[in-house]
Amino acid sequence: MTGITTAEASAEATAAEGEPLLRLEGLTKVFATRGGLLAPRRPAVHAVNGVDLTLGRGETLGLVGESGCGKSTLGRLIARLEDPTSGRILFEGRDLASLRGRELRTVRRDIQVIFQDPYSSLNPRQTVGRIVGTGLQLAGKLTDRQIRDEVMHLLEVVGLRPDHYNRYPSEFSGGQRQRIGIARALALRPKLIVCDEPVSALDVSIQAQVVNLLMDLQQEFGLSYLFIAHDLSVVRQLCDRVAVMYLGSIVETGAGDELYTAPRHPYTRALLSAVPLPDPPAERARERITLVGDVPSPTDIPSGCPFHTRCWKADDRCRTERPVLEGTARHLAACHHPESPADSAPSVPRQADSSTASPAESPADTEGTHS
Amino acid sequence: MSLSPELSLRKDDPEPFLQVTDLAVDFATADGSVRAVDGLNFTLERGRTLGLVGESGSGKSVTSLAVMGLLRPDSTTAGNARTSGEIRLNGEELLSAPARRIRELRGRTMSMIFQDPLSALHPYYSVGAQIAEAYRVHHKGSRKAAKERAAELLGRVGIPRPRERADDFPHQFSGGMRQRVMIAMALVNDPELLIADEPTTALDVTVQAQILELIADVQQEFGSAAILITHDLGVVAGTVDDVVIMYAGRTMETAPVDRLFAAPQHPYTWGLLGSTPRLDGDRRKRLAPIPGSPPNLLEPAAGCPFAPRCVFTDRVEGDACATDRPAALPACHLAPDDRDALRPSSRKAAS
Ligand SMILES: Nc1ncnc2c1ncn2[C@@H]1O[C@H](COP(=O)(O)OP(=O)(O)OP(=O)(O)O)[C@@H](O)[C@H]1O
Ligand SMILES: Nc1ncnc2c1ncn2[C@@H]1O[C@H](COP(=O)(O)OP(=O)(O)OP(=O)(O)O)[C@@H](O)[C@H]1O
Ligand SMILES: [Mg+2]
Ligand SMILES: [Mg+2]
Repeated sequence: MTGITTAEASAEATAAEGEPLLRLEGLTKVFATRGGLLAPRRPAVHAVNGVDLTLGRGETLGLVGESGCGKSTLGRLIARLEDPTSGRILFEGRDLASLRGRELRTVRRDIQVIFQDPYSSLNPRQTVGRIVGTGLQLAGKLTDRQIRDEVMHLLEVVGLRPDHYNRYPSEFSGGQRQRIGIARALALRPKLIVCDEPVSALDVSIQAQVVNLLMDLQQEFGLSYLFIAHDLSVVRQLCDRVAVMYLGSIVETGAGDELYTAPRHPYTRALLSAVPLPDPPAERARERITLVGDVPSPTDIPSGCPFHTRCWKADDRCRTERPVLEGTARHLAACHHPESPADSAPSVPRQADSSTASPAESPADTEGTHS
Repeated sequence: MSLSPELSLRKDDPEPFLQVTDLAVDFATADGSVRAVDGLNFTLERGRTLGLVGESGSGKSVTSLAVMGLLRPDSTTAGNARTSGEIRLNGEELLSAPARRIRELRGRTMSMIFQDPLSALHPYYSVGAQIAEAYRVHHKGSRKAAKERAAELLGRVGIPRPRERADDFPHQFSGGMRQRVMIAMALVNDPELLIADEPTTALDVTVQAQILELIADVQQEFGSAAILITHDLGVVAGTVDDVVIMYAGRTMETAPVDRLFAAPQHPYTWGLLGSTPRLDGDRRKRLAPIPGSPPNLLEPAAGCPFAPRCVFTDRVEGDACATDRPAALPACHLAPDDRDALRPSSRKAAS
C-alpha cells in the first residue's frame, strides 16, 4: 500500500541532487499592527515562524494544521501576495525577493493560486472568458483570437463547456466555480500552483470531482502543488508528502504514508487520531487522543517547543529549547521526545472527566488525554 | 398466526418518541416555489441518536427548523415557508398544536444547537446571562438560582472556572468554547430531544472530536433523543445509531449505522461513500465521484430526484427512474438482487 510514487522518488532525487523547485529557508512573517497616534498598539502576530521546506518538481506537498496556524500566510508568501519579514523563498534556485522586472514577471506567471472560496474569489461582473483570459491578456503574447481559443480549450480541460465562455460566475454551482478558478490558474502554464483549501467549501461528491481533476492536470501539465487543507483524508489522497504546521512552525514532514502510519510528533499523532473514519467498526476501535485546551495565540508563542503547552510528554527541555526538524529526507520531525511505534500504549491515563480538564488558560497543567 | 405482524406491532409497541411523516416544506420565492423538504419520513426513539445526512441544500436544516416549530405560520421565523405532513412528539402532533404549546416545548422539551454559535448568541449579553434567561423562560425561581444553574451547565460542558467565565461575552471565547456554551444553553432545561445542526462543521478536527464526545456524554447522561445533522460520513460512523440519507428533501434510505455502511442500498449512498476519502483507504487510488451537480429544487423531479446523476438507471426497465417516485425505502427502482450485485463490493475499494 505504501508504494513510492514517481513524484516521491523524483522529490527525493532532486533533494539529493540539489535544487528542488521551491525551497523555503527560515521563512518568517510577522504582522505588526502599527496602531495610530492614539490607538493602542496591538501585539505582533507571528503567523509564520522560521519555516524550512522544499517542494520537488511534479510533487504535491500537503500542508495541514489547525485554523490560524499560518497555512494561508505561508501560501501567500510563496505566491508573493505577501512580503516575508525575514527568510528566503528560492524558486528554481533564485531568491524571489531579489528578482526585478522581467524575471519577476516570469516567476509570477510560474506560481499561481487557487483559493478556498469559489464565491468570493471570482469577480461577479466579469464573464468566465474574461476571468480565465485576463492573465493571457496581460502576458501580451497572444492575439485576442488565440486567447479566446485557448480559454475555450482550458474550460474543456477543467470539465466545463466552451459555451460557458460568456456566462457569469453567479450562474455556476460551487464546484463549477472552483473549476473556473482552476482554469484561471492554469492559463499561464504555471510550474507551481498554491491550492489554498480548494475543496473545503465543496460538497463531498463535488470535492471528489475536483480532487480527481487536480490529479489529472498534474499528470498532464507536470504541475507541482502546495495543497493547503485541514482535511487530512483529502491530503492523504492527493499528496506525495505532507507537512504539519503548528503555530507558524513546521513540526513534521513525511513522504508517502509514513506520517500517517508512524507519526513522530505527538501533535501529528493527536491530529490524526481526531479524524473520524467512515466505517463504524474501525471508528469504534480507533485510538483517540483528545487534545486539551485551545491553541495558544500567535501573538504569544510559547517558548521552546510551541506545542509544549498541550503536549502530554512535555518536560523542562521542551519548555526552554526549541526543537529542530530532524530525521531523513522522507521523514522529519521537530520534537525532543518523538513517538516511536512502541509508544502506541497511552503514556498518560485518560482523565476521569473532561469537564475537569484545564484548558490553555493554565498551560502549566494541561495534558493530553488518551483512550 | 392469527394476527398480522403489522397489527401486533401497532398494538403492543408504544408510539415512537418522534415520528415525522410525509413532511413537506415549500418556500415561495420570486422564481417560484422551492420544495426544500419533499415527503420526508423518519422515526426516533428515546436515548438514540439519528444522523440526518445529505449534501448542501438537501433540506437538513429546514427539516430541523420544521421540527422545532420555527416554520409554523404563527412563528416569526416562518417567512415564506409552507409546511405539511405530520410531526408527532410523544404522540402529540406539532404542526397543528396551538402556538402556546409549541412555545412551552421549545427550549424545554426540545432544543437545538446551531452550526454557527456566534450568530446564535447575543453579542451584548454575558453567556451566563443568556443561559440563565433560557432557564428562566421555563422555570420559576430566583434570578440567583438561574445564574447558579448557568454556571453548573458551563462547568458540565467543560468550560474551566465556570463561575467567572459566566460573566464573559461570546467574543471572549474561542470557536470550540462558544460551541460548548451553545450546548450548555441547549441542555439547561434537560431537553428530551436535542437537535444539533452541523455542530462541528466550522471547527478543527481536534475540537470536533471534543465536541462530539461531549454531545455523546451529555446525551447518555440525560437519556435524551438526539438528531445530529451532518454531511460528514466519518462523523456519522462514530456518533449516531441510525442514519437517514437525504437527497433533494427526500429520504433515500434509512438504516442502523452499521448496516448502512456494511450494505448501503441506494446508489446515492454508494456515491457518497465512493467520494469520501479515508485515512485508512487506498492511497493515490482515484476517488469515485458522483457525476453532475445537485438538483434544482424549483423543478422537483417527477421520478427519482437522483436519477439525472445515477449511473444505474439503465438497469431499470422502461423509464421508471425518470417518471415514477419510488414508493418504498430504499427509494430506488433497482431490483434488490440487482442492488446486491451492483453495490461496490468493499468500502475500501470504493474509496
Ligand atoms: N493581514 C493580517 N494581519 C494581521 N494578522 C493576520 C493577517 N493575516 C493573517 N493573520 C493572522 O495570522 C495567523 C495565521 O493566519 P492564516 O490565515 O495564515 O491561518 P490558516 O492556517 O490559513 O488558518 P485557516 O485554517 O483558518 O485558514 C492568524 O492568527 C491570523 O489571524
Ligand atoms: N427561506 C428560504 N427561502 C427559499 N429557499 C430556502 C429558504 N430556506 C431554505 N431554502 C432552500 O431549501 C433548500 C434546503 O435548505 P437547507 O438549509 O435545509 O439545506 P441543508 O441540507 O441544511 O444544507 P447545508 O448543508 O448547506 O446546510 C435549499 O435549496 C435552500 O436554498
Ligand atoms: Mg487559511
Ligand atoms: Mg444546513
